[in-house]
Amino acid sequence: MARIGVDVGGTNTDLVLECDKGIFFHKVPSTPKDQSIAVIRGVMEICDLAGIAKEEVSLIAHGTTVATNITIEHNGAEVGMLTTKGFRDILHIGRHKRPHNFSLHFDVPWQSNPLVKRRNRIAITERILPPTGKIEVAMDEVEVRAACALFRKRGITSVCVGFLFSFLNDTHEKRAREIVLEEIPDAYVSISSEVANVIREYERFSTVAMNAYVGPKSALYLRNLETKVQAAGIPAKLRVIQSNGGISTIEGCAKKPVGILLSGPAGGVIGALAEARLAGVENILTNDIGGTSADISTIAGGRIRIKNPRDTVVGGHAVMAPMIDLETIGAGGGSIAHLDAAGGFHVGPRSAGSEPGPACYGRGGTEPTVTDAQVVLGRMDADKFLGGDLPLDPALSFKAVKEKIADPLGISVTEAALGIIKVVNNNMALTMRANSVARGYDPREFSLMPFGGAGPFHGVALAELVSAKDVLVPLAPGITAAMGLLGTNLQYEHIRSVITNLYTADQPALDRVNAVVETLVAAGNADLDADSIPAPERQFEVIAEVRYHGQGFELRVPIPGGRLTAENRADVISAFHARHTADYGYAFDDALVELYNIRVIATASAPHLQLPKVRMGSQTDLPAALMYTRDTVFDDGSTHPTPRYDREKLGAGVTVDGPAILIQHNSTTLLPPGYRAEVLAHGSLRIAKQ
Amino acid sequence: MTKLKVDPITLQVIRGAMETIAEEMAHVLFRMSFSSIIRESEDLGAGLFDRDFNTLCESESTPMHIGSIPGYLNGIRESLDDGQWFEGDVVVHNHPYFGSSHTPDLAIVIPIFHDGELVGYSANTAHHIDIGAATPGLIIDVPDVFAEGMLFAGTKLYRKGERNDTMWNYIRRNSRAARQLVDDIEAQIASARLGVKRFKELLDRYGTDLVFSACNQLMDYSETMLRQRIIAIPDGEYRAEGWLDDDGRNRGEHLPVKVCVRVIHDRIEVDLTGSAPQTVTAYNVPFEGSTKVAAFAAFRKLLLDTATSPTRVPSNQGSFRPILVIAPLGTIFNPKAPAAAEARFTQCNFMIDLILKAMAPVLPDEIIAGSSASISFASYAGVKADGNYWVFLEVNEGAYGGRPKSDGPDSIDNLMANTRNNPLEDLAMHIPMICDRYELRDDVAPGAGRFRGGIGVVKAQRILTDGIITHESERHTNVPWGIFGGKPGAVGRCDIYNAAGGDVREMPSKFHGLAVKANDVMAYYSPCGGGYGSPLERDPKKVLDDVLDGFCTPEDALNVYGVILDLDAETVDLAATERRRAQLDAH
Repeated sequence: MARIGVDVGGTNTDLVLECDKGIFFHKVPSTPKDQSIAVIRGVMEICDLAGIAKEEVSLIAHGTTVATNITIEHNGAEVGMLTTKGFRDILHIGRHKRPHNFSLHFDVPWQSNPLVKRRNRIAITERILPPTGKIEVAMDEVEVRAACALFRKRGITSVCVGFLFSFLNDTHEKRAREIVLEEIPDAYVSISSEVANVIREYERFSTVAMNAYVGPKSALYLRNLETKVQAAGIPAKLRVIQSNGGISTIEGCAKKPVGILLSGPAGGVIGALAEARLAGVENILTNDIGGTSADISTIAGGRIRIKNPRDTVVGGHAVMAPMIDLETIGAGGGSIAHLDAAGGFHVGPRSAGSEPGPACYGRGGTEPTVTDAQVVLGRMDADKFLGGDLPLDPALSFKAVKEKIADPLGISVTEAALGIIKVVNNNMALTMRANSVARGYDPREFSLMPFGGAGPFHGVALAELVSAKDVLVPLAPGITAAMGLLGTNLQYEHIRSVITNLYTADQPALDRVNAVVETLVAAGNADLDADSIPAPERQFEVIAEVRYHGQGFELRVPIPGGRLTAENRADVISAFHARHTADYGYAFDDALVELYNIRVIATASAPHLQLPKVRMGSQTDLPAALMYTRDTVFDDGSTHPTPRYDREKLGAGVTVDGPAILIQHNSTTLLPPGYRAEVLAHGSLRIAKQ
Repeated sequence: MTKLKVDPITLQVIRGAMETIAEEMAHVLFRMSFSSIIRESEDLGAGLFDRDFNTLCESESTPMHIGSIPGYLNGIRESLDDGQWFEGDVVVHNHPYFGSSHTPDLAIVIPIFHDGELVGYSANTAHHIDIGAATPGLIIDVPDVFAEGMLFAGTKLYRKGERNDTMWNYIRRNSRAARQLVDDIEAQIASARLGVKRFKELLDRYGTDLVFSACNQLMDYSETMLRQRIIAIPDGEYRAEGWLDDDGRNRGEHLPVKVCVRVIHDRIEVDLTGSAPQTVTAYNVPFEGSTKVAAFAAFRKLLLDTATSPTRVPSNQGSFRPILVIAPLGTIFNPKAPAAAEARFTQCNFMIDLILKAMAPVLPDEIIAGSSASISFASYAGVKADGNYWVFLEVNEGAYGGRPKSDGPDSIDNLMANTRNNPLEDLAMHIPMICDRYELRDDVAPGAGRFRGGIGVVKAQRILTDGIITHESERHTNVPWGIFGGKPGAVGRCDIYNAAGGDVREMPSKFHGLAVKANDVMAYYSPCGGGYGSPLERDPKKVLDDVLDGFCTPEDALNVYGVILDLDAETVDLAATERRRAQLDAH
């Protein structure tokens, strides 16, 4: 029995394999045109590497950027939309707020790159009335068929349906789907009351349109991959990680690909949490630093936080799908440092990417990047980058930093390089603080986990800036996301708006809420049925999304016992006050507390990656692990002869005192003077002040 | 305070911290608040200010608020309870003759004391739905400033940390939406307190000298960036003029607006002399809190465009310094007490539109054609069965003029406005109103051009009980202009009719306190933007797209754009188009 996690990134496809023989890591170059090629190749190669037969693989858990890339490259399906007459342009108007306050030449993404062109948004006569969902005007089926005829003429096969107030009554949307499938039998049909059954028309319509836009291609990719896995004789079940961190089936994701738009970074957060738990830590600040961007998240009490649906925007379009609360900023190894006309000093968000890449890559880049600054400071050894696979040219780094920063500012090259690091660290620290302190968490109770190839360079400096307790560097920082794929559960979410004043809710109101809970639980059961999950292994979390009446933003509160009763109503209200106080520093009174949505999360545990303990070491490992010593400049400007250790040769319990640098194949950990790193039982490093 | 020379790296660190504080303040304010005008529309501003009332940082919320708070602080200096600040004070302020932007925008100001010394202020402004004016929500046709509702000038809601319950009780008794008013003031206080806390943390960490030296350098930096752009414009006087429909009472009497932009090396004067005398209604613009703010914003948009500039300039006092605004006292842009001055938005937006027009000869690649440059600000209200009011404020969008490289955006908040709309479904679940139509206008065409003007919105809101509507809008008579051969856009329109049928009443752009019956509908049509450049130069493929999308009629494609289409095949006949255009060009 073997399980494989495979995470597709822009440059590399990372793999982790777990079997009786142990845990194996592998990387193959990604194949952006068809990600499945590298996935299959990597799976075959890692089986060989582990010395197992491919028939032994029982599960492949997959993190993919296929849906995300469609939104970046604007090459989704031509979509047809059926919507309520009088409201044809909800998608065109959006929330009518400009992306820029002070600009005349701004772009409006939802108008310049619409998910559905206006010519394909067809208004249908129908009307559902609030607050009960009463049908005032029946849907004109002749108009629906006429719209389908137009879609057929235009070769459109992806159709979405978004009617006003369908969250109160989905009859028209469901009937419209039946008709579309009669008229266009091979159509990919998405209806808003299924994709995001919540109040607020723009966000619901945008979500269903996004589903229709990325759906056909994503479904094709996923089904194609499944076929290829079978054709390759691998008997494994294929699963995909969703933006909320749970895994789902190919069928589930193919129907609702809006759920995998942030599949990529989700694995990293889960992988980091899994390793933190092994270290006995439940509070972590994660920072996944790659070449162009850093993904930042806060996990308190071992619980991954989900972003407020009001903030989930993909490619400029609102998408109401649960996503891990990640902030992505333009700060990474390739971020470019530059001075503006008035002498302002900036690092990023522009990035040199991998082509031309940092100046030291010698591929024609002349602008200094964060990586170049690390080279100038003697932290990144030119001959050891990617285990020596890609030799760097320090002279080019020096030249770029000197000409573009040091000379114009009249400072030394070392000072300029330190400045680049300081500014990029500060940019990341501000986001980390906004993601933690600003939400009521005290970073002094959190460990900072830096990963991604460039993460461990910045870990200690970031921990100082945000006042984190210590730093935890994962076992394999460059491959943490792939490991996370083997550390999560099956997860399905269903949501519906059921607006209820909690303070005055009488028995009929409570019954109405619980009827919604029952429906959503049934939907979760149907998903788990499809996965053949036995009943005892199923779990259901029932969440109330609550706000003060009149507010525009809901907060999540669990409903104890899963059903709303006259007894636990007060608990829900007080939990909401507490949540509001934690987030905003103030609570209002009970009379205003309003239930807005019910969300049911159905889960089934999957086996999690079991990292073995590393061998016990002793301080005598140090001489054996010592590679060489070179001068290195640290953030305080001091230069020290700094030993380089091969991290893989350090056993558990070994401590290393800074200044030191710990090198492994795809990552480098910087240990400044005054800090001590300890190898923990499962191979991660804990770094703290001595 | 000792002035230090702060290195560029530390400067960047302090800048980031300041911007984060302002954003955090705004975030708390709009997430916590209750009335939709704050929470959904984000009609608010928040930031930190030094002892001399310089803006150190401000949130990226609504432009009309950005830059207005120094005016409030100046007004508070003249009117403050006790004549001095104590630690723990919280002040509310909205008096337009003491520097406010207009009366519904209440400022909450908390002094920041550090080591016992007053070092600055944490403050925010937000639009409140009802402060007890003559009629619910908005007002236009009122005699004087005292009809605008409660006037606060340097009024302490907390003194030395102690709550002034008398004042709170007074406020609670004087609004038609007292609960929302009081709770939203609480949200403002929470936001301002957060600003104090965060700023003090910053001072503890870096020291007062360093932080304030850095802030001064950041202001100089913004100033330098703007002056560099001004120097590149040829010195001279650039003029444009137009008119506003009326003052909301005297129908048909247009109000002239004249703009003269003087570019003098590295500074600019915006001279509004020659514009209309102050009006007898509330259709006047408070000078400190609104006229100046709009002029500052015009040049930030024009010269420091955040979408096209490689670097972003910090939002602080420095960007105001190179610009001097002149408006004679007693005119519409600088009224004398006791004139009312609540309805001031459309004049500001129109002034910006004229500034852009004035600069067209020297900045052809930066300016845009005429925009809707108005606003539609509507208040709907009614009395509930329990004798209490419900009040709803709505900001409707406009459209931009065509631009040098792209079409004017459609149905979007224009120039000084940048709010968010209210979800129609949320509205209908909470208020006795329902929306009958919300889409792009199809009764008129936007201004044709190489890049066409933006298309305005049509929104039809039905009120389900008897109620009162006030509507503040503009440009029912003054069409947004095309430029460099572009065609004019379309004027705005507003109809009132009953859903059951009967006459359609065509309304003037501004009306006040109109009593309406259940099922009466107000349909607002915003102006459409003018075109930029000749329509004969428009990419024929774009014309085809516009025809297919219903943004252009086949007749206009043929006669205005000179494009020959096969609509059945959905293709352009390029050769025939070339001939057609040559023929049209010859005329």
